[in-house]
Amino acid sequence: MKNLEASRVRRKRWRAALTNLLVYAVLIAVAVVSLYPFLWTLVTSLETQGGIFEFPPKLLPQAPSWRNYAAVLELVPLARQFLNSLILSFFGVFLSVLFCTLAAYPLAKMEFPGRNFIFYAILATLVLPNEAGLIVNYVTTAKLGLLKPELGAVGQFAAIILPALPSTVGLFLMRQAYLSVPSELLEAARMDGASELLIWRRIMLPLAMPTIAAFGILQFVAIWNSFLWPVIILRDRELYPLAAGLLDLAGTFATNTRAISAGAVIQIIPILILFFVFQRYFMRGLEGAVKG
Amino acid sequence: MNLGGQRNPRWARTLLIAYGFMLPLLGVKAVYTFWPILFGTYLAFTEYNLISPPRWVGLRNFEELFGVGAFGGRGPDRDFWYGLINSLKYVLVVPLIQILSIGLAMLVNRQIPLIGLFRTAYYVPVVTSFAVVGLMWGWMYNAFGPVNFILTRLHLLNPENPSSLLSNPATALLAVMFVTLWKGLGYYMVLYLAGLQSIDRSLEEAALMDGASRWQVFRHVTLPGLRPTILVCSLLSTISAIKVFDEIFVMTGGGPAGSTYTAMFFVYSAAFQNFRYGYAAAAGLVVAGVSLGLGLLNFRLTRGGQAS
Repeated sequence: MKNLEASRVRRKRWRAALTNLLVYAVLIAVAVVSLYPFLWTLVTSLETQGGIFEFPPKLLPQAPSWRNYAAVLELVPLARQFLNSLILSFFGVFLSVLFCTLAAYPLAKMEFPGRNFIFYAILATLVLPNEAGLIVNYVTTAKLGLLKPELGAVGQFAAIILPALPSTVGLFLMRQAYLSVPSELLEAARMDGASELLIWRRIMLPLAMPTIAAFGILQFVAIWNSFLWPVIILRDRELYPLAAGLLDLAGTFATNTRAISAGAVIQIIPILILFFVFQRYFMRGLEGAVKG
Repeated sequence: MNLGGQRNPRWARTLLIAYGFMLPLLGVKAVYTFWPILFGTYLAFTEYNLISPPRWVGLRNFEELFGVGAFGGRGPDRDFWYGLINSLKYVLVVPLIQILSIGLAMLVNRQIPLIGLFRTAYYVPVVTSFAVVGLMWGWMYNAFGPVNFILTRLHLLNPENPSSLLSNPATALLAVMFVTLWKGLGYYMVLYLAGLQSIDRSLEEAALMDGASRWQVFRHVTLPGLRPTILVCSLLSTISAIKVFDEIFVMTGGGPAGSTYTAMFFVYSAAFQNFRYGYAAAAGLVVAGVSLGLGLLNFRLTRGGQAS
């Protein structure tokens, strides 16, 4: 009897171990598919010897050097593009966080006519089909005069970030965060004669900091990675952000795979660093967007 | 709090303050989100080339798309319908992404060593720009690239004369769809993981205790609990599949032989290459109608996302 029990426990343990082994096998296989293109790109950007495409593909560079990085820096104004991306992302993130944190406050904590209508009208734009949006936004941007040569870089940069500022996801996330702030706190501050702007600045913003960080990072990645709208809008090539510049480089020097792969690595690195450092906020921002 | 009714100064002040807070966002949103929806719909009934003002042409653009009325003799616009059919084929990637990401979410929803590292790994493609993704997969699919290396090893391809999957009209669309899957998997995995973690664990355990098989638990407890998440995810995924553009733009440019030419590619080239903004807007409106229909289908299939 005791023997039987022991063998059952052992069999169960075996099954658990086998399941775990199987789980890890699948996890590793999916991870290899997810990450291999990045490894290939990195190896290619560091390699200086042999053919670019080889059977079987290399897993490590044989003669690693920074030569390809130096080459891509000579081909395109990469430093300038990096700066463009930084400027666009900085102002894009700052202003959209400002807009969303401001607008979400009355939507979460004030009673006024039209509140629900406005909130649902904005939410509806997430699913409302807007196929012609690119065209109309281009027309609007031109009509606003932002592309006039005399406005220079400021006008063109404004034209790029403006459509990204009123983020629906950002508004939604901020409203969710504000809803969990106890209303008694606000009432007490109002009793003390604090203005709404002060309440927003001193109570709402500090308490919503984790969500602000989450949204800020999501928005940074979105702006850093965007290329289609900048390519449509920008007249001056020297105003191209990295992602757009990379496509331009790939179009012009299609055969120089090593230099292009070095450019690609330079485009991804800042995002990956940001992602690894703030991973927790990242996932939280995403989860917040579906819950609620 | 004053709820409606009492129209006193305090009420008016709240109104003013509330709209003051929302003004920057609403202002820009009115210009760049609400206006395109209205003006885009109007443009669909006009002829517009950006230089002279839009000229009202009624249903002419739609007649040209469908090949009826004034365009009865010419037949429907083949490029557009060809693109729309490719877009509809593209939607087939949606169920695949959803099934695989639910599976992956269930795999990573366990407390085992290194699981955080795996979750991170799956998320790296999500934060990568399509500009980079397009380049990387272009290299992966190169005639002598890693994908073909595997295919020749599996004897699926002649090693003497390998050709890129992207340059073969029979496989190009599938190859691009795989990239969409590759980039989207981590994103939906995180969303499903959140959905799984909101399901009451004790329900699943109780069912197991009662002698239900793992499949039965999944079918009757986990899946119904995930339904709201499935609705959100499949809706997002369907809308972006029917509007697929970025992947195509960076990888094939609609080729080879139009095999990856999608509806939004048609809209894009009608507007930015042929400068027929009204016609492009009309095509966009038809795509919008199709995507709305598919959205409703999603709603029906997930029973409105009701959890039970």
